[in-house]
Amino acid sequence: MSSDIITTDQLSKFYGSILGIHEVSIKVPPGGVGFLGPNGAGKTTLIRTLLGIIRPTKGTAHVLGYNIKSEINQVRDRIGYIPEFNTSFIPDMTAMKFVAFCGRMNGLANAESKQRASDSLYYVGLGEERYRKLGTFSLGMKQKVKLASALVHDPDIIIADEPTNGLDPTGRNQMLDLIKNLQIDQNKHVILSSHLLRDVEQTTDYAIVFSEGEILAQGKIKELTSGQRTSISVKVKFNEDLFIRNLKDKGYEVWDEGGFIEVKISSDTEKAIFNAAYTAGTEIRYFGSRSNTLEDVFVDLFQNKEGIK
Amino acid sequence: MSDQSTKNDAYVRKFSFRPFTGLRRGRIFRMWSISWQWWIHEWDRSRAIKVLIGFQIFILFLTNIFVLTFKDIQLQADPTLTTGQILEDTLIPLVRGIVSFQTRIRGESAGHGDEFGTSFSIGGTSLFILLLAVLVGSGLIADDITNKTNEIYYSKLEKYEYIMGKFGAFFIFGNVMITLPYVLEFFLLYIGLGNMDFLAVLPVLVHVILFTELVNITYAAIILAFSSLTGRRLYAGLTTFMLLFLANMIVPSLAFAQGGEVGLQLLTDVLTLLLVSSYLLDGESIIRLDLLGREHTLNLANGIGIEGWMIIGSLGLFIFLGISIVILQVYRRHSA
Ligand SMILES: Nc1ncnc2c1ncn2[C@@H]1O[C@H](COP(=O)(O)OP(=O)(O)OP(=O)(O)O)[C@@H](O)[C@H]1O
Ligand SMILES: [Mg+2]
Repeated sequence: MSSDIITTDQLSKFYGSILGIHEVSIKVPPGGVGFLGPNGAGKTTLIRTLLGIIRPTKGTAHVLGYNIKSEINQVRDRIGYIPEFNTSFIPDMTAMKFVAFCGRMNGLANAESKQRASDSLYYVGLGEERYRKLGTFSLGMKQKVKLASALVHDPDIIIADEPTNGLDPTGRNQMLDLIKNLQIDQNKHVILSSHLLRDVEQTTDYAIVFSEGEILAQGKIKELTSGQRTSISVKVKFNEDLFIRNLKDKGYEVWDEGGFIEVKISSDTEKAIFNAAYTAGTEIRYFGSRSNTLEDVFVDLFQNKEGIK
Repeated sequence: MSDQSTKNDAYVRKFSFRPFTGLRRGRIFRMWSISWQWWIHEWDRSRAIKVLIGFQIFILFLTNIFVLTFKDIQLQADPTLTTGQILEDTLIPLVRGIVSFQTRIRGESAGHGDEFGTSFSIGGTSLFILLLAVLVGSGLIADDITNKTNEIYYSKLEKYEYIMGKFGAFFIFGNVMITLPYVLEFFLLYIGLGNMDFLAVLPVLVHVILFTELVNITYAAIILAFSSLTGRRLYAGLTTFMLLFLANMIVPSLAFAQGGEVGLQLLTDVLTLLLVSSYLLDGESIIRLDLLGREHTLNLANGIGIEGWMIIGSLGLFIFLGISIVILQVYRRHSA
């Protein structure tokens, strides 16, 4: 037995003749994993199949060792699912009642469900608002209620499908922090599905990249990015112009992007950057890759795929 | 929510979950949670439910007073009459009145209830109860489609468990609003009238329970079917109500147009079917139908015209159809 939390074997789902996912075989390692892919890539389809909401057309899958066909109820009790749609739940029900109700559907006894509902709502930061009606909640608060109702039954795995949809930057950061913290502080396995690469990068170390119902790549985000990195970002203090000229004189492609100096990677680029800085008398303040490098990987992967076709 | 970031961070750092170590409850408990949650929620928010149940019980109470007041006069006028018979003659027309618009609007003239002038008002309440059942029940599945909460249910439960939970929810409504008041009425009359053998009147109680439960099942099947067909509670409710209303009007008008002949059209009438089947449950094969003031008799066991099995069959068909629509919608449409 491996320690993988989810394994799928040739899992396929067709909606009539429309392809959802095609022969997906993945192993999801414990900890945090991002499901990454553009709209319509099949992320939601895979998640819904794992939860038994839809039946796979072909193939099998195991979640924490339980078969999704014969032991689906074991699977459901161990997953907390945050669906992607925007819901108003039951608008005139209080958050507390709704979350406790969700707990009971996962088999918590009455008293336990209330206690844990309260805990979960405090955890997501809605402790003060827990007796307010759901219809009066903002979108960000509703997303948090979804998270609370996914946590209430103490699942081992949290699957969040596009949890930052429609949120402003503050709401988005809060959401991602909460999800990240579940992984770090509460020892939950977290799966974050998103078409936004920075969301995944901000929350998990490992990513599985989807496209058109298939898996394009999977691995540690660092490893996925390193081989693909095309430029190095630098920030310098003093003599910036001279530093840039030095590099250009050596034949490196240099451009300015978002306050960073980007140097296209060719041979010995890193050494050249330090040499150029030394001769120009500048001080390197930042050296590394841009925060959205995964986006480049992503684009590259797609371009490669198009090229193969 | 913009002002919550600081508060949030504090919670995130401080807070830790207790791991859940207990045993999880079984499947029945979970289905029941759906039913009970819905009912409690509707009860909490709907004043109409509370008013109606109060009114219902009040009317039954009035009926009681009438019956008990005139009990002695009746018994004197007809020496063969027993208190058990008075109980039966009062209760059965009341129960039948639940499902027939005729009795709702015009009062039931076949039984003794009308003599006391009470069945008109009880008919009035049952009209409102139907209206409420339709309006409230129509949201059972439609609201989940509107609010997209069904995805949450399906991620926790099997779909058939969801369906059972929803049916259960309607049964709670039906049992509280329809069955319970009449069972209560039975015991009030039993105690009030006195002088009777419980075993002798037990069939009346059984009839009341079976009949109202049959009403609950049929209503549930029809209302939930329409509820699952549309994402709008209001559309579902209006359509269901119109259907039940029209179905109820078809038979009397056709019968009237044909000079009082009760034709096979009766089979299309859900509510009249219920009315008729009540006689079957009661063990009587001959029924009297009062169609717009003219009384007709119908023998359900003579091999001519409408037979008992047709009625049970078509009733079963309605229930079967309704349940099939719900299952089909939930398994196919709502979660393709
Ligand atoms: N209920 C459905 N009926 C028919 N086709 C569907 C259904 N759900 C999804 N699809 C199709 O399956 C494919 C994969 O969709 P899916 O929702 O899994 O993608 P996704 O990666 O989650 O995309 P998004 O980022 O938009 O959420 C798409 O082509 C979509 O049109
Ligand atoms: Mg999706």
